[in-house]
Amino acid sequence: MLKIVIDGKEAEVEEGLSVLELAEKIGVKIPTLCYHPAVGAYGACRVCIVEVIEKGLSKLTTSCTCPVESGIEVKTNSEKVKKTRKLIVEMLLARCPDAKIIQDLAKQLGVEKTRAPQKNENCILCGLCVRICREIIAVDAVGFANRGNKRKVTTPFEIQSDVCLGCGACAFVCPTGAIKIEDVEDKRKIDMWHTELGKVKCERCGRYFSPVPLLEQIKKKGLREMSDFLGLCPDCRRLVLANKLMGREE
Amino acid sequence: MSKKIASLRELDELRKRGLKSLYPDKPRIMVGMATCGLATGGKKVFEILSKGIEKNGMDAKLVPTGCLGYCQKEPLVDLLRPGWPRIIYQQMDPEKAEKLLDNINQGNIWRENVLAKMEEDEFLIFDEKRKYPSGSKANLNNIPSYQQLPFYKKQLRIATRNCGFINPTNLAEYVARGGYYSLFKVLTQYEPEQVIEEVMNSGLRGRGGAGFPTGRKWIYSRQAKGDTKYVICNADEGDPGAYMDRSILEGDPHSILEGMIIGAYAIGAREGYIYVRAEYPLAIERLKEAIHQAQDYGFLGNDILGGRLSFSINISRGAGAFVCGEETALIASIEGRQGEPRPRPPFPAQSGLWGKPSNINNVETWANIPVIIARGADWFSQIGTQRSKGTKVFSVVGKINNTGLVEVPMGITLREIIYDIGGGIPGGKKFKAVQTGGPSGGCVPSWLLNLPVDYEQLTKVGSIMGSGGMIVIDEDTCVVDLARYFLSFLQDESCGKCTSCREGIVWMLEILTRITHGKGEEGDIELLEQIAEVVKNASLCGLGKTAPNSVLTTSLYFKDEYEAHIKDKQCPARVCRDLITYIINEEKCTGCMRCVKECVQEAIVGERRKPHRIIQEKCIKCGICYETCKFDAIKLE
Amino acid sequence: MKKVLIVNLEKCVGCRTCELICSLTHERRCNPAEARITVIKFEEKGQNIPMYCQQCETPVCEAVCPAKAIYRDSLTGAMLVDTKRCIGCRMCILACPIGGLSFHPTRKEIIKCDLCKGDPACVKYCPEGAFEVVSLDAIGVKRRRENIRKFSSYLDMMTGGKE
Repeated sequence: MLKIVIDGKEAEVEEGLSVLELAEKIGVKIPTLCYHPAVGAYGACRVCIVEVIEKGLSKLTTSCTCPVESGIEVKTNSEKVKKTRKLIVEMLLARCPDAKIIQDLAKQLGVEKTRAPQKNENCILCGLCVRICREIIAVDAVGFANRGNKRKVTTPFEIQSDVCLGCGACAFVCPTGAIKIEDVEDKRKIDMWHTELGKVKCERCGRYFSPVPLLEQIKKKGLREMSDFLGLCPDCRRLVLANKLMGREE
Repeated sequence: MSKKIASLRELDELRKRGLKSLYPDKPRIMVGMATCGLATGGKKVFEILSKGIEKNGMDAKLVPTGCLGYCQKEPLVDLLRPGWPRIIYQQMDPEKAEKLLDNINQGNIWRENVLAKMEEDEFLIFDEKRKYPSGSKANLNNIPSYQQLPFYKKQLRIATRNCGFINPTNLAEYVARGGYYSLFKVLTQYEPEQVIEEVMNSGLRGRGGAGFPTGRKWIYSRQAKGDTKYVICNADEGDPGAYMDRSILEGDPHSILEGMIIGAYAIGAREGYIYVRAEYPLAIERLKEAIHQAQDYGFLGNDILGGRLSFSINISRGAGAFVCGEETALIASIEGRQGEPRPRPPFPAQSGLWGKPSNINNVETWANIPVIIARGADWFSQIGTQRSKGTKVFSVVGKINNTGLVEVPMGITLREIIYDIGGGIPGGKKFKAVQTGGPSGGCVPSWLLNLPVDYEQLTKVGSIMGSGGMIVIDEDTCVVDLARYFLSFLQDESCGKCTSCREGIVWMLEILTRITHGKGEEGDIELLEQIAEVVKNASLCGLGKTAPNSVLTTSLYFKDEYEAHIKDKQCPARVCRDLITYIINEEKCTGCMRCVKECVQEAIVGERRKPHRIIQEKCIKCGICYETCKFDAIKLE
Repeated sequence: MKKVLIVNLEKCVGCRTCELICSLTHERRCNPAEARITVIKFEEKGQNIPMYCQQCETPVCEAVCPAKAIYRDSLTGAMLVDTKRCIGCRMCILACPIGGLSFHPTRKEIIKCDLCKGDPACVKYCPEGAFEVVSLDAIGVKRRRENIRKFSSYLDMMTGGKE
């Protein structure tokens, strides 16, 4: 067990946690944008910055990547941290002025306006979509292209992806809602990935309920012999089983 | 028959062959064919010499060599004749080369274009000096001695010990000057821990810029758990104006290999990588040749020096990204992933290439290792200052008379480097500052010229040692524009992962650009300082953390220049185009029409014999008229 | 001891109180769309069948979840979703043979029966007492198999093996 001091309070925690995970455990709130429990820390947004004092030396570091070590003192909201975090949010606000999560964060921190040059992006380049698609969904449909302030997330060659499952996890985890998924009739469209996928039609009710590659993936992953119900939407699965029950009772 | 060296006796035999090659009993002519030599026309000189030797049926040895450091004077041609000291000729061209050959044929000493004579060679590894014959027949007294030349007098060449002295593609010549003897010593007399101890005690610090104690880094890698470990050489050298590593790679590639093999033994690695930037094709070629030779002779491979070690080296090429000089981005690049840094811990010593413990060192660091082993930690640690031991290679470029590469003991002052070695500022102009450490570094002004150069001192004044680039600027350089230039470089090279670096640099650049265009506002400097503080403290890697240095140091030491731009809308150095005006002094103008003809914008009106006038709205401030006027009639305000 | 929820179909009258109390307990609103249980009604026949997650022995949802966000509660044996870890790919919804998981319409989270920490609201509030929480001792295991055998060919997956 390691002993540290965080915001003036003593805390004891088992080894192997980051300062962010420790804070979460004991109820200390540190804002984050690019952290997700499923993929861990990345260190891109810099919003979770805290002050860490070790052996008398103070430094600013991201709490998501800072391992808890015995004897450190952590300040999650000192003047230095506040100043730094506010300016980072100013930078993000200038980049994505319409992103609600950034607007909320700015309000929370008392950032009323931004002095940085205005842009009109929706993506904060947090990398969650990339990492989720690569490490969790494991199809690696999107990635980072270009460098510096030309960096963006896109599909290889910026054309229709041939590996995208259409699961929508990217849109789900996106903090700003930059990724829009449109379900139109028998197609699922993800404009940001230049991708359109066909959907599976429910054998019973005719509703289009899942992108084709997603269902294929599920078939591969864990369903062994049991795929006769896969052509049915979840609602119809219940109905068919209920009917079966009815049949048996009779 | 196998060439593989397995015993000291065999190494000595190879050395003998190398010595015969270095000091043959016929004229030996060396031509500087590193990139600096090639850029100034060395290839043509080499060809003319080669043709001439053949045509005249001369019995002479013509050899390419690396960079001697005095790049300003390239192409350099060294002549070593039996019975004479070595004579170095400067700024050669095909015509002069022919003259040189004629003189050799006639048995004369050609006395034109002489840079210096070398009366003795120093073999640093053996602590030996080999005197040349004095050439008693002719009087060489008025030829300056190489050691006494101001450019070389204060230098101590450890990492660059063989550059300009050997043919880099001749392994025997490397061995003749002591090469691979340190490897032999290590493999036959030292345990890995002893090697690390020696490097620790020497006080060697990473020469790539961070200055981390090399011995300590090696300990971490040695202690890391695992059977598979890697040693890596960072040869990405991205700083504009810095080419120290390139010169070592081109002129003495085996010194890197030997250093890495010793490192591999100490850490327990069986495989190594040299990550070279693709923009160094000659260096890559030399490295490939050197690796092949080392394999042939048994210095690399499965049974090094008779089976004492197994180690192989691969070359990995960069693809044009400055950020890949950062160690974790470099590792990502070798792995085939996008070159972007990752947070540390874990450090590469614990988890590096392919997740295995990896030790990364810079080219110059590796080049020092064989000398430390040969001469010992005590000897090395007596050079330099208390916390910065040994020497450092600097590329002295910019507004300086003696452009080139210098290797000096740590602790030498900036004044000595710029004035004694560098020869001061050309054109009688006034020194303004020296930018050290490349785009990540800062400007050091004239009142700090007595600063002893070492890691701590440079950091104290707001700059960094960096990889060793030293860009000298004079009164005609605008520091605001210089800071803007470095930021625009970093904006292009930032990987873009972290908010503070990516957005922060863009923001600072926007402000600086406004200032240089005369649109600076009250409060700009304070805002720049605020942003700089955040970019410095909050960024993920060294690129972001050091990006604000050029702005911070220039605004600290040259505040009046910033304020002139912002408040007075003036550029004191007369560089920023929106803030300067060219005006024709009607009293001095003779009406010669020269400027009218030269002006690309047709912005000058005037008739013959009548004073001309510049139409300011059309003028693009290119300065051609200013340079053309022979009557000094155009003023720059 | 692990528990499961068993329904006695003869007792179900289709009042849908279970749906209301389920959503009220979890969401503080009476909204059947937010309930973790759905009653399928066959009004002509006068038969009603509540459908809900069967807390399978070898759940497909857990196997298919790429983020490993579905896990078994050590106390009750129920399959729970770590909504913080969930990445919203909805593979669990598509994989479940009985539609036991769904997506909350507005909160955008996976919802499924979680046995209310071992004290299910539907058991308490069903006017006909059609629900029963059964501990999976030897008798409970048998009863569960009986219950499921009636309507699912995935008996083994749900109940973990042959008798």
